[in-house]
Amino acid sequence: MSAFEDSLRPGEIVLENASRAFSVRADRGRTLKEMLIGRKRAGGPPPVEALRDVSLHIEPGETVGMVGRNGAGKSSTLRVLAGIVPLNAGRVGCGGQVVSQLELGAGFGREFSGRENIFLNGALHGLQKEQIESRLDAIIAFSELGDFIDAPVATYSSGMFLRLGFSIAAHLDADVLLIDEVLAVGDEAFQRKCEARIGEQIAAGATLVLVSHDASLIERTCERLVVLDGGRKIFDGPVDEGMPFYHRLMGTANAVPSPQ
Amino acid sequence: MAYRYLFEQMVRRELRQKYRGSALGVLWYLINPLVLMGAYYLMFGVIFDQVQEPNYPLFLLVGLVVWVFFNQAVVSAAPSLLDQGALVRKARFPREIIPASVVTVQLVTFLALLALLAPVTIVIRGTFDVALLLLPLVLACLFAFVLGIALAVSILHAYFRDVAPILSAALLPWFFISPIFFRPESITDQAKARFVLEWVNPIAPFIGTIRDVIYGGVVPGGQELAYVVVAGAVALRGGHALFRRLQGELAVVV
Repeated sequence: MSAFEDSLRPGEIVLENASRAFSVRADRGRTLKEMLIGRKRAGGPPPVEALRDVSLHIEPGETVGMVGRNGAGKSSTLRVLAGIVPLNAGRVGCGGQVVSQLELGAGFGREFSGRENIFLNGALHGLQKEQIESRLDAIIAFSELGDFIDAPVATYSSGMFLRLGFSIAAHLDADVLLIDEVLAVGDEAFQRKCEARIGEQIAAGATLVLVSHDASLIERTCERLVVLDGGRKIFDGPVDEGMPFYHRLMGTANAVPSPQ
Repeated sequence: MAYRYLFEQMVRRELRQKYRGSALGVLWYLINPLVLMGAYYLMFGVIFDQVQEPNYPLFLLVGLVVWVFFNQAVVSAAPSLLDQGALVRKARFPREIIPASVVTVQLVTFLALLALLAPVTIVIRGTFDVALLLLPLVLACLFAFVLGIALAVSILHAYFRDVAPILSAALLPWFFISPIFFRPESITDQAKARFVLEWVNPIAPFIGTIRDVIYGGVVPGGQELAYVVVAGAVALRGGHALFRRLQGELAVVV
């Protein structure tokens, strides 16, 4: 945690002139030989600029949808906001407890039971044992896993796996929720439950940043829309103005949003 | 320390995951070093029994447990960040926890082996010396030293995948020049060679002091004690500084 982050209010998100490029070579690790010889292998595609001079200020309690083509920089932005990937230039900060759902169930130990994985995942977010214990029943109930909670995660279906992942993330008292296209979880009933749970967290004051290709989900959940293209922010405003802009960009202006 | 419980979880996970499903489970953590020590004992204690030491098996075993701890800790720490890549790429937490938990698991094994060995040594020698009071200090310095090396090795290996193979290759000759089955003064008269064996090899003073305390029942020399304190502090500071410096891009490179 930087001093800059400490200066932010819980739920506030700041991204200032943020730039980040990724090398796209297949073998990402540099070898010792290269370091000793002091030169890099030539050739290969140039680095991909995932974020180019993006600035964003999100107030506590705002709900922001983020859309764009594949490769527009949406997931990179979330990884930067989550503090997992550092910036090449600019600065970033999120105030308070940040809960990122970049990939539900990431880091689950497959040989461990669902219950054990709840403890590990809680600990990954900096929670202590007692804090996790106090939420354990709610998490298990929400996941609808029943007796499977004590079975190894390796025996879970993919739907069960994701349900457990969402249930944990949804009970961590987030000030900032970063969600990347993971709501297509389980069956329709569970999806509705997830949306309702996110709604509760927003009502409790959490800030939401949601990346999704599901336009109607964003319209239902978010008030503000950010459109990214080629690593640049090309729209930032109310969602009802942003969606027509986004549809024009994608050439789907006449497409009918999926009925809900 | 908000992530104290995460550290505890990682240690437990490390302990249980590796040998899960095997009949002997965590006992393997003890069996492996015991087998290794048995093999070395057979080699140097029985077949090439050239060394004039009272209770040579104990002399050998005390040195070996120290070496095995150092060896196992750095070898298993080296690939640890890559092994836990799924966590590193998806969550934000102090990444030092990963190599630190690996080293801690090895420390537990080491202390268990020492707890088996030390009483036997003390009973055979027949005296309970005040020098044993120095043991916690020396072990703490050893832990700091090993942790520092493990931090450095793990972060370097994440960027340069040659580090772990180089390390495995280096550890075997390193083992043979370490004063585990001999005392430097009993194999050479040359001052230069002795200096190298005793002081240039950073693990040598740790083996020396721990052996003095447990096997010899004597207080180690002031120079050696100072060496282990400084080596522990320098390795930990340096290893941690290097880790901090390089860890930024971890989620991208693992």
